[in-house]
Amino acid sequence: MIVCIAVVGHQSFTEADDALKLHHIVHCSLDVIDERVNNPKKTGSTLNETYLGLLYPTENYKVYGYLTNTKVKFILVTTHLDVRDADVRNFFRRFHSAYVDAVSNPFHVPGKKITSQTFAERVSTIVKSFGLSSAV
Amino acid sequence: MTFPATPRSGFRAVVRGRNIKLTVVVVQSFDKDEVSEDRMIALRKRAEIDSKYLLTFVQKSSSDLKHSLNRLGSIVAELANTYYRDEGRRVKTCIEKKSFSSVDLNIRYCFKVAVYAEFRRDWGEALRFYEDAYRALREIIGTSTRLPAIQRLVEIKSVAEQLHFKASTILLHGGKIIEAIAWFRQHHAAYKKLIGAPEVIFLHWEWMSRQFLVFAELLETSSAVIPSNTSLPLVTKDNKPLTESEFNPAYYYQLAAHYLREKKCCLELALSASEAVAEIESSADSVIPSVYVGQFARLLEQGDALVMQNLTDAEYVLYALAEGKRFQDSFEIIALLKKSFESYSNLKAQRMASYCSCQMAREYFSVGKFDNAKELFDGVASLYRKEGWTTLLWDVLGYLRECSKRLGSVKDFIEYSLEMAALPISSGDEVQSPIHKGEYGPAGCASLPQRERIYSEVFGIMKGESGLTSNEGNVTLNVTPERPIRLEIDLVSPLRVAFLASVAFHDQVAKPGASIFFTLSLISQLPQPVEIDQLEVKFNQSECNFTIASAQKAPISATSIGKTGARVVTAPVLTVVTNKWLRLTYDVTSELSGKLECKSVIARLGPLFTICCQAESPASMNDLPLWKFEDHVETFPTRDPALAFSGQKFIQVDEPDPQVDLVLGASGPALVGERFMLPVTIVSKGHEIHSGELKINLVDARRGAALGSPREMEPISTDSLHVELLGVSRPDGDDEPQTGQDNIWKIQHSFGLLSVPFVNLGGSWSCKLEIKWHRPKPVMLYVSLGYLPTSNGSTIQKVHAHKSLQIEGKTAIMIGHRFMLPFRRNPLLLSKIKVAPNSNQSTTLALNETSILIVSAKNCTEVPLRLVSMSIEMDENDIGKSCTVRQRDESQKDHALLVPGEEFRKVFSVIPKIHSPNLAMGTVCFTWKRDSGLDKQSDSNITEAGIITRHKLPDVNVEMAPLVVSLECPPHTILGIPFTCYVKIQNQTEFLQEVKYLIADSQSFLLSGSHNDMVSVLPKSEHILGYKLVPLASGSQQLPRITVTAVRYSAELSLPQATSTVFVFPSEPHFKMGNLKEKVTEIVTTGA
Repeated sequence: MIVCIAVVGHQSFTEADDALKLHHIVHCSLDVIDERVNNPKKTGSTLNETYLGLLYPTENYKVYGYLTNTKVKFILVTTHLDVRDADVRNFFRRFHSAYVDAVSNPFHVPGKKITSQTFAERVSTIVKSFGLSSAV
Repeated sequence: MTFPATPRSGFRAVVRGRNIKLTVVVVQSFDKDEVSEDRMIALRKRAEIDSKYLLTFVQKSSSDLKHSLNRLGSIVAELANTYYRDEGRRVKTCIEKKSFSSVDLNIRYCFKVAVYAEFRRDWGEALRFYEDAYRALREIIGTSTRLPAIQRLVEIKSVAEQLHFKASTILLHGGKIIEAIAWFRQHHAAYKKLIGAPEVIFLHWEWMSRQFLVFAELLETSSAVIPSNTSLPLVTKDNKPLTESEFNPAYYYQLAAHYLREKKCCLELALSASEAVAEIESSADSVIPSVYVGQFARLLEQGDALVMQNLTDAEYVLYALAEGKRFQDSFEIIALLKKSFESYSNLKAQRMASYCSCQMAREYFSVGKFDNAKELFDGVASLYRKEGWTTLLWDVLGYLRECSKRLGSVKDFIEYSLEMAALPISSGDEVQSPIHKGEYGPAGCASLPQRERIYSEVFGIMKGESGLTSNEGNVTLNVTPERPIRLEIDLVSPLRVAFLASVAFHDQVAKPGASIFFTLSLISQLPQPVEIDQLEVKFNQSECNFTIASAQKAPISATSIGKTGARVVTAPVLTVVTNKWLRLTYDVTSELSGKLECKSVIARLGPLFTICCQAESPASMNDLPLWKFEDHVETFPTRDPALAFSGQKFIQVDEPDPQVDLVLGASGPALVGERFMLPVTIVSKGHEIHSGELKINLVDARRGAALGSPREMEPISTDSLHVELLGVSRPDGDDEPQTGQDNIWKIQHSFGLLSVPFVNLGGSWSCKLEIKWHRPKPVMLYVSLGYLPTSNGSTIQKVHAHKSLQIEGKTAIMIGHRFMLPFRRNPLLLSKIKVAPNSNQSTTLALNETSILIVSAKNCTEVPLRLVSMSIEMDENDIGKSCTVRQRDESQKDHALLVPGEEFRKVFSVIPKIHSPNLAMGTVCFTWKRDSGLDKQSDSNITEAGIITRHKLPDVNVEMAPLVVSLECPPHTILGIPFTCYVKIQNQTEFLQEVKYLIADSQSFLLSGSHNDMVSVLPKSEHILGYKLVPLASGSQQLPRITVTAVRYSAELSLPQATSTVFVFPSEPHFKMGNLKEKVTEIVTTGA
């Protein structure tokens, strides 16, 4: 089950779950993203790759990251311990397009929290389908 | 030497049966006591050993000893190796044949083989068998019934820990870090769920924590490094990705701390559940670890012997609880987290590190070390504040609030509470779900009702209505009149969200004494409206300070206002509503010119509590750090939106307008070299002038003109000598400063400061500035007068009047010069022949010959100038020695007037006396003055002296002329009357000179004498050619042209055309000649 999906912009963020622990996990995962982005050679990821892969495992969760071209970070925390990379990639791609649609809303002020109801619904649909696709 | 005892046959049998090898060592003290070969053989046979295992051990020298020891070592090692190989092989066959009674034994066999392999340094085999043992152990979980359930699991885990430790060590020492991590992962996954009986869950977590700790330490101490050639994401053999953090010991330390914390919680739970505390204490007494790994037994004394008795599970649980109580897990947890924190800090993983530090602080908090906890939490809070993680910040602030409560710090408590109450949290459930129980700090889950609760609690304390007794009971927080609370909120304070004051003046400049309007705006993000009793507005000019009192609360605040005596205004309402600007517009009056700035706004809430907000300009105000991401309504601090973007918290108050005229009387351009007089007049028109000060500044017009005020002007340094302020003359002619105490009189190159005496209303005062230009240059003159309009008091500021003027400095006189040959005389100058005619060479003059120098001076100005004198000055040490310069004519009278554009010439004769390639000719000194009209000539004694313009003559080349040709003939003659003309060729050298000459025919003259010839002129003598000429035409006639060629130098000499003319009268003229004598005056140099 995906327990948390976070969007971390330059400074702001929104997310699906409010548990304090997840906040901590998401916050700490930013360090890993920073390291991956700052040392691309060491981590071997290609420059144009937005999907950052598994960031780090915690005792109960796995954390995956995704970085858009505008340096907005998507962080996925899941309790699935066996996740196929392709599923996560696919998830992030769909989530990214949902995010793009949400911030393209003319009433959205860049930098502010996303409050769109449609976005929330769309995200929950994507989150639900994530479990299904991996089961198949 | 002693012989070893003869091995008995029984001993030999024992040795043989057990596969024991013998080594015989013959110990010798000295090298030379050789044991004979025979004896050695006999010995070997008796002992039945191979010759390899018989060695002599020499003790004599250290090198021998070392050698012997090495040999002994290698032999023993070889034997041990063989032994372990054989033993291992034996046990291995047992395993292969499965000839063991129980699985337990299988594990033991595998372990044995692995250990033997390790002895032989066969790491591959050791690892393989450790893994086999580990796998076999996994199989017996749940199947074995050897021990009571709890103890069985404990035993299995202990053994698993051993095997895992061995395997990890071997892997890490072999540099197989990826395999080691994969192995650890699998170990962790396999045992994670084996929690065991509920009453001893804490044992499981303790075990887990130990696994992580041990692995972290192994990883930290191992030399293995992350393979750099392979790129991430690294994958294990079963294709699971590895992350960077898993290579970092900090990750394992952190998890070790996590599990230890889990253990602590479970242990506390278990302890609280078991009532029989006394029983726990007693039961643990005689229990000790058994000889087998992971087993415990009770030690009983039976007579003299000690007997191990197995424990029941109940007994074991009691024992485990008693053991658990003895340890202080919190400090262990803090130590682990600290390691992790340091490691993350070194890696610059700031957020991970602060998470660790947060955990550490929570642990300190739980053991009651609030000082340590507060310090750590403060550091973490600043990161969360900076990055805007509201939920995390809320939690940390909750802890901080609790810490300051326990520490009895009211001010901190209020600050943290206010910050929490103003955090942008608008949603969230008030009740926390049971899943997250224990996860949240003392502040609970972030929610709006919580904010409101904190708000009302803290305002209760601030207003002194209720004290707050902390749960511990020993500290009471309340605000007493002896210790009123005052909070300072500056531009970077986190409390800006709670209270923010912005001040905007409506204008940018104001007149002194006029009303200056400004808007004071207050905003708060606190969840409920804040009622303010009174607001004090503080300015940098303290006379402007005033107080705004709330109309509703006026009677309460009256007492405190009475003391200050400052202005008090009343506002109908002083309540700041959440996220809504409270806008108040007032006016102040300032008498002082300069900057008027609002410093701070102090809000008084109740008798004991004040908040001092530093005032902010709307134009430069930063957003509220956390609220800017929120989707809430944002309004302008002022009603006028333009003012919200441009409003400033300060205003420039002008100084009063000067009512004085400052007049700079300029009279055309200044001339270089003269003392230019510039009258400055001060006329009082509406102000009396007290303690006046006149500042004068000269600035290069081209570069310094952009500089605005003369007060800020820097004195020009490099150009200061081009234009110079020489002095100021006062109207009474007194140049010296008066001895009065207040009088300032300071003149520098470009700057002057002088005091102006008291000037009555309508009166005037003037002075003259003397400025001298050394180079032609336009200059800006700034004059500023500062004065006090009234004589009393120093509080009133000075009034300033400024004036500036651009003055051109022009060159007055252009001096030129020209050298000419002597009349009808032409010296042969060799340097002139050699050099190409158009090359740029200095003038060459002949030694001891008279040359003519014409000096001209041109008036370049637009005013008439009067000549005072013109002369040539030689350098001091050259006077009269090197050359003689004489003034040729005296016809020019002194004090000649030069109208604009007119040129004045003077002729000098020059006789060089020294042979020199560059002879200094001296300097032309031209003394002149402005012609101010005849009647005003005695007007000023300064101009009388005249101004000297100097012109340095270029150096000349003086050389000896070997031949000088001169022509002697009368200046005029009469038609038809013959006259004689001589050409003198002077040889000045020591040699015989052959000279050719050629005379051309002329139509105007009849000529007698040789036309062309060659003559030899003796050294130092003169040859004269004489011609008789009869003029045939009247008027100015050109004499026949004579060309002389010096053969030695192949140089041609002829007289200049202009000089070889003669005037022919048609008949005898009749002149009336007076007694005029030609006078020659030597004016300049008369020898030293």
